[in-house]
Amino acid sequence: MKLQKTDDQQEMEMNMTPMIDVVFLLIIFFMVITDLTQQDLEELQLPTAENAQPDKPKPDEFRPVVNIKQDGSIWVKRKAIYDPEAPDDYKMVREYLSDVAKMMEREKFDGTATTRNDPNSIPGEALLVRADQFSAFKHTQKVMEQCGYKGIQIWKLQLAASESEKDSDE
Amino acid sequence: MIDVTFLLLIFFMCTLKFKTLEGKLAAYLPKDVGVNTSEAEEIEKVEVLIKVANEGNKLDARGEKPWSGEGRFVYDSTRRLTYKIGPKTMTNVEDLQARLTQLHKADDERPATIDSRPGTVYEDVVSVLDATLNAGFTQITFVGSYE
Repeated sequence: MKLQKTDDQQEMEMNMTPMIDVVFLLIIFFMVITDLTQQDLEELQLPTAENAQPDKPKPDEFRPVVNIKQDGSIWVKRKAIYDPEAPDDYKMVREYLSDVAKMMEREKFDGTATTRNDPNSIPGEALLVRADQFSAFKHTQKVMEQCGYKGIQIWKLQLAASESEKDSDE
Repeated sequence: MIDVTFLLLIFFMCTLKFKTLEGKLAAYLPKDVGVNTSEAEEIEKVEVLIKVANEGNKLDARGEKPWSGEGRFVYDSTRRLTYKIGPKTMTNVEDLQARLTQLHKADDERPATIDSRPGTVYEDVVSVLDATLNAGFTQITFVGSYE
């Protein structure tokens, strides 16, 4: 058999098709894995609780989240809406909460569902509060206090906690 | 083409955050704040009072050295709290849970309220909330701020 003689130019050409295929597959893999619902959650150390219900929001679900860091700053969607070093009497927090309250499903005081325009209604959905494990509870209480304001009146809360690991080897 | 693809790949790899196991506990605030002008009726409730007996030492985020005043801190194991239901005082969460279980009757519709005094941290309140839920109470509310 006689080997075909190739020049240098031809030898340098690499077949890119399989590589592009693999890279595309990797991209698709990472796109699927990336969970956009976790975008609202700040990096916090949460306490553990046995009764914690798993938090699995649907991708397009309306879910208001308030994050409280240890220094008392309050974060919503990666933005600080309260800074303890520049106190604004929780004005921005109230603004955020009243926007959220308007978007929530409404219910009457006895718990029956009603329309959004009913003046005697309160929000029937919960606000998720995530605070650092060792953050003073007064910061959380401040947020709760704002929840009670007229025009907000959010009364259902969810406190974030991490689920305790039952079979921990540590 | 391949450059762009690689850039995209790197972007998705960098933005990838691993899913954290996270849960939530349901709790309620008093419903009748603000506009409700009718007088609140007296309802029987179980009130848990949390007080700090010993604040404990602040350690740095890794729990090794004393806290320098910057960044996150954690409390060491010398932190002590007292829990009070009526006249009875307890010093740990297990006793509190036992007492709450004792107080909880079948078909109990009484709400439990959590009253945390200055100095308590989020974790203390969550552990009490957890104990209260373990004892069988379903309606748990927080009472107002004292600071």
